[in-house]
Amino acid sequence: MGVEPWERDILAKDEMQLVTDPIEAATDDHIYFSKEASSGGRGFGGGGCGCN
Amino acid sequence: MSREKCKSIAATLATATCALLGTSSFSAVHAQEEPGWEFNTALLYYGEDDDRVQDFSLSILALRNYVDDRSLSLSLTIDALTGATPLGAIPFSGPQTFTTPSGNAVFTTPANVIPLDDTFLDTRVAITASWQQPIGRLNAISTSITASKEYDYLHFGANVKFSRDFNRRNTTLSAALAYAMDEWDPTGGVPDPLSPMLDVGDLSNRAGKDDKNILDIVLGVTQVINRNFLVQLNYSFSDSSGYLNDPFKIISVVDPVTGDPLDRIPTPGVPGPSHQNVFESRPDTRTKHSVFVQGKYYMSGKVLDASYRFMTDDWGIDSHTVDLRYRWPIGQSSYIEPHVRFYSQSRADFYVGSLDGSTLAPAYASADYRLGDFDAITVGLKFGWQLTSGNKMSLRLESYVADGAVPGDLLIGNQQGNVIYPDLDAIIAQFSYSFGK
Amino acid sequence: MEKKPGYFQGTFLAMGSPCELLIEASDKSLARTATAIIAREAWRIEDKFSRYLPGNIVHRINNSDGKTVKTDDETADLIDFAASLFEMSESRFDITSGVLRKAWKFDGGDQMPGDVDVRTILKQVGWNKVTWQRPNLTLRRGMQIDFGGIGKEYAVDRAAGLLNDETSSACLLNFGGDLVATRAPVDSKGWQVGIEAFDTDAGAAKRLIRLKNGALATSGDARRFILKDGIRYGHILDPTTGWPVANAPRSITIAADTCTQAGMIATLAMLKGAHAEDFLQQQECQYWCFR
Repeated sequence: MGVEPWERDILAKDEMQLVTDPIEAATDDHIYFSKEASSGGRGFGGGGCGCN
Repeated sequence: MSREKCKSIAATLATATCALLGTSSFSAVHAQEEPGWEFNTALLYYGEDDDRVQDFSLSILALRNYVDDRSLSLSLTIDALTGATPLGAIPFSGPQTFTTPSGNAVFTTPANVIPLDDTFLDTRVAITASWQQPIGRLNAISTSITASKEYDYLHFGANVKFSRDFNRRNTTLSAALAYAMDEWDPTGGVPDPLSPMLDVGDLSNRAGKDDKNILDIVLGVTQVINRNFLVQLNYSFSDSSGYLNDPFKIISVVDPVTGDPLDRIPTPGVPGPSHQNVFESRPDTRTKHSVFVQGKYYMSGKVLDASYRFMTDDWGIDSHTVDLRYRWPIGQSSYIEPHVRFYSQSRADFYVGSLDGSTLAPAYASADYRLGDFDAITVGLKFGWQLTSGNKMSLRLESYVADGAVPGDLLIGNQQGNVIYPDLDAIIAQFSYSFGK
Repeated sequence: MEKKPGYFQGTFLAMGSPCELLIEASDKSLARTATAIIAREAWRIEDKFSRYLPGNIVHRINNSDGKTVKTDDETADLIDFAASLFEMSESRFDITSGVLRKAWKFDGGDQMPGDVDVRTILKQVGWNKVTWQRPNLTLRRGMQIDFGGIGKEYAVDRAAGLLNDETSSACLLNFGGDLVATRAPVDSKGWQVGIEAFDTDAGAAKRLIRLKNGALATSGDARRFILKDGIRYGHILDPTTGWPVANAPRSITIAADTCTQAGMIATLAMLKGAHAEDFLQQQECQYWCFR
């Protein structure tokens, strides 16, 4: 399963990265950490603030 | 031009060029791009309705690329928060007076209004520094340190992640570990769990600071399925220990029959709470397990990003999160991306609506709505575009609505038929600008 | 000839572009000789393959009126190369497409030729209509060949070859943006070369590249284009339609072993229009593509 090195054209596109917008991801992680009882999943648990 | 016929012409071109220039081979080219900077900046507004929390946030992320795929990333986020949050006390048919978190004053909530603490005002600064580099051809390591400071909270953390590629780089395994040390230092000191809310100026139930440590481990695998499809699967383990309470949250102590908060007589001449409330008490450890799966699928220019996360912990909370994004290109340099997120959580074992004043309080109890049963949905739209200079901008607008309830068997007397649980209705607006040098 | 810190810079004009040689030498006369060598080679190739000079092989071929022309070895090598490129590019790189310039004026204005004009001229375009049996070339009446798409890169590679025979000093040849480095200057990671993202006033994002050895070639339409109804038509024409390639990137720079290879990959990528990045990703070469 997989592709050859020369077939990675689409996978190399910005919009195909697992995290396309690091600031947006961090912002959402923080918002949902402070309003919900779950955090992380994609990366670390976030948090590091007194908002929850 | 058919996509399938696009293959490497390098070999054919090399042979043809050798024939043209009359040599048998060439020495390989060596061209290295000088390191450059990339900046991502964003301005965020988060606002809940009903005079609740409002947050303005500025984020700056600077990424510096070095030769050989090494990079340094620095980020700074500044938040200015204002607005009120639910205290945990229940509304009832009369007004209630509470002491402020600092213990310096009182405030009153009108009848039939969910009590909110209105003295919330804070600024937070958070920084992160990360370094990432390959080790050999197939491995990579990344490490970062984080720190943040608010008026009453301090955080320090560090993490490290190893990853390795297999299978012609189609499979990547990763293992990551993070450790954080956080500290609460609220004005007046951290309240004793389950101790009553006292008169203004009475800090006899307060200690000083208190801290908590959090260990996170994340194991992951990323797999390329085919040219258009990539998936990631992560398992996370998180262990927190120390002071896990929210020092500002209280629980109403109520009459076992009417369910109304029990009266309290303040000390003569000293303002204080009108009814009985106690500070919450959570266990001093929490273990969480999560499983997260994400897929990215490319279909003729459009990208579907779908993910699901399941979380369960030893506080009795289970949650499900489904996140869907669909990026739709518009022309050559812009896109539109609708987004929808579904979240559902089941309450903590020790979640209560209120405490029965006639019985002994349990060891752990919290009326914090964020530990209750609720469902939330986020619906948003993002619009992104690229300027002629190559720099990028985007704007997103989202609506986040959470809707929950105190379960019937936890409601006492008059509480049934009242709206006890504070729902949430917020908007998220973010503008971002990315540029490089 | 100018002395710069650590090297000499010799300049001259050839093939319609400013050309220069940067040579790491302590000796001014070596720099002069080296510049003379490459300038002579550049002018030789320009004279031999220019469309404008009466009497040269290209002129004879273009005025052959349907008759067979016998070519010399160097010309035959170039024609063989063009024939391979025609196949590699699936007919999109075609040295007979020069006649289309009669219909198009890429001056930043909005003049577009009529459909009929383009189709008429297109009848005289097509390498498949040419009879090539080395060393004999037969064009149909009205057809022309033009080595403009290969000439400059070929010239700089040949000039670099001559330099290598002459001296082992580190040299950087620059023929109007097509570069070859023979080796890196001592104590340095390579010659520092800048590529401009665009010709805009918004401050083009300049990328800095350190070229140790090998070549860089750039294909782009920064100065030659038509702007009509807000759509930008680059100057690279698709020989199968006679029209500019739709949605081509504005500029592509390629790093490759030789300038000929770099130039060809850049041109072929441009000819892929919207799929340029897909094509470049599959070539596994270093590229900088700007839209």
